[in-house]
Amino acid sequence: MSDQNVSLPLSPVDQAGWRSLISAQVGTWLLIAVALCLPLVVAGSWVFALGICFANAIGVLSVSVLVRYGGEVSIGHTFFSAVGAYTVAILDTRFGIPLWLSVPPALALGVVAGILFAWPSRRLSGIYLAVSTLALALAVPEIINNADGLTGGYEGLYVSEPLVPGVKMSLQRYYAALAVLLAVTYGLARLRRSRQGLALLLSKSHPAAADAFGARQVWARVAVMGISGGIAALCGAMLAFAGSTVSPSGFTFWAAIFLLVGSVVSVYGLTFPRALIGGAFLTLIPQFLSASGAWIPVLYGVALLGVILAGHYLPRLTQAMGRRKGGA
Amino acid sequence: MDAATNALTGQGISLSFGGIKVLKGLDVTFRAGEITGLIGPNGAGKTSLFNCLTGAYSPQEGQIAYAGQSLDGLSPAARAGKGIVRSFQHVALSLDLTVLENVMIGVARNHHAGWLNAFLPLPRGRAERAEMERAAMGALTDLGLADAAHSLPDALPPGMLRLVEIARAIVGKPDVLLLDEPAAGLNNSETRDLMQTLRKLRSGGLVMVVVEHDMDLVMSICDRIYVMNFGEFVACGTADEVRRDPDVIRIYLGSDDD
Ligand SMILES: Nc1ncnc2c1ncn2[C@@H]1O[C@H](COP(=O)(O)OP(=O)(O)O)[C@@H](O)[C@H]1O
Ligand SMILES: [Mg+2]
Repeated sequence: MSDQNVSLPLSPVDQAGWRSLISAQVGTWLLIAVALCLPLVVAGSWVFALGICFANAIGVLSVSVLVRYGGEVSIGHTFFSAVGAYTVAILDTRFGIPLWLSVPPALALGVVAGILFAWPSRRLSGIYLAVSTLALALAVPEIINNADGLTGGYEGLYVSEPLVPGVKMSLQRYYAALAVLLAVTYGLARLRRSRQGLALLLSKSHPAAADAFGARQVWARVAVMGISGGIAALCGAMLAFAGSTVSPSGFTFWAAIFLLVGSVVSVYGLTFPRALIGGAFLTLIPQFLSASGAWIPVLYGVALLGVILAGHYLPRLTQAMGRRKGGA
Repeated sequence: MDAATNALTGQGISLSFGGIKVLKGLDVTFRAGEITGLIGPNGAGKTSLFNCLTGAYSPQEGQIAYAGQSLDGLSPAARAGKGIVRSFQHVALSLDLTVLENVMIGVARNHHAGWLNAFLPLPRGRAERAEMERAAMGALTDLGLADAAHSLPDALPPGMLRLVEIARAIVGKPDVLLLDEPAAGLNNSETRDLMQTLRKLRSGGLVMVVVEHDMDLVMSICDRIYVMNFGEFVACGTADEVRRDPDVIRIYLGSDDD
């Protein structure tokens, strides 16, 4: 017993864990380096699409964080991304306020919207919560069209204020979206290690235990929705800036569903590479599919179904395979 | 004197679920500086009493107070803030967190770094994490679990998880420590180490209550023992008194084998 206590703090298993962690980090840094250099080598249309992809990746993270830390799914996160997008677009078009001044209020409004939604729905979970988020998603286009004096209605708004005057706008769109995506993944990595993050994770699986150590369930729900709403608003803000136009067609019910699908595709990952997978799915698959004309809805439906089934069964399959390997 | 003023007390605690009386007007005094045992057959209501004391259940009747202050109406989180901490009969650890991180949650109530610290590398948040890690590592080392600190719970055997559960409860230096079957699933040497740890924890200010089926453990570490059956106390006293009590003998005779 006592000789075990004085041994090295890392067992061989942990060392293998560290090694895979380090190699994963090297992969992430490589990916970041590639992302930083890409605009120098690829065509302009790709730079634009990748900027949108980064913004979408932020949206995927907003849903994944709800799954990971709250154990809940949302099919209405376009509500929060619309809050962010219209904050940026309205401040830009009405007051000429550039992105670096409009992102903080967009983030704050997203957090507030998340908290305001969390409070009345704090006792709901599972399918009931998902359906109540659905109501949010369905309301968004209506709200935007009704407030057309402010939002520009169907026409939408055009975001044109540069972030850094004098720098090529296409590069600004790309790098701003990338920077915010990196900042969000960094913040989420820190959250995982924070006191609040630990409490949220315990609350997800054992609410009574978390309660007994001072983390109330209502606190956990409100906190997770606030974080998730804030990240979704950042997604909207960057969609507005990177995509340059904001209109209700970007915040439909389907867009909300795709955010969830993107989250499933990335296996609810909160890292930069995982978020990119989800963002790429949201951004690029529709473009590839649009080449196939009338088959789009069918193909998209099949893709969706495949992804959801894979997301549902893959973890169990790998678990079962791991068990067989362990038994052999 | 001090022991009496810092006691955890319940008066006339009655709890029922849909007409079924689970606790029938219990009066208890758990004193500081003592280890109190709470024994009785399965379904006697031991866990339910813990749930009432921590605020997880609201008894229909009765008052609960700690150090002379009423706890009635306080949430479990608020009671945790007053230093009332428990371990769970069914181990309640997060599988997403390492063993060390699970134990760190036990000291969370002593730390207050704000939300900015959760997302940004600010000094206060870093210091908090380091301090929480140090405290958790200390508790794990005391229970012989230092090697498992960085493992995930599902990689460990049940006995170790039980000890992690206890480490989480004791790490925050509680004023009231309620342990629900802390030796369940432990082997003999683990049980012996646990007894050692609990004895060392006994101090003038601490109210410690242990629900346990392991009679050797209860009889050897407890200063006072409450025996419960069907939501009532059938006996209360020192180990020797309880051992000789005819009602206790009747309840436990023949149920030795489970
Ligand atoms: N939440 C609950 N709902 C209904 N019945 C409960 C609940 N909690 C405990 N009980 C009942 O209370 C009785 C005492 O249970 P418990 O306190 O767990 O006993 P012990 O811990 O002594 O084994 C049991 O009959 C149990 O079924
Ligand atoms: Mg019990």
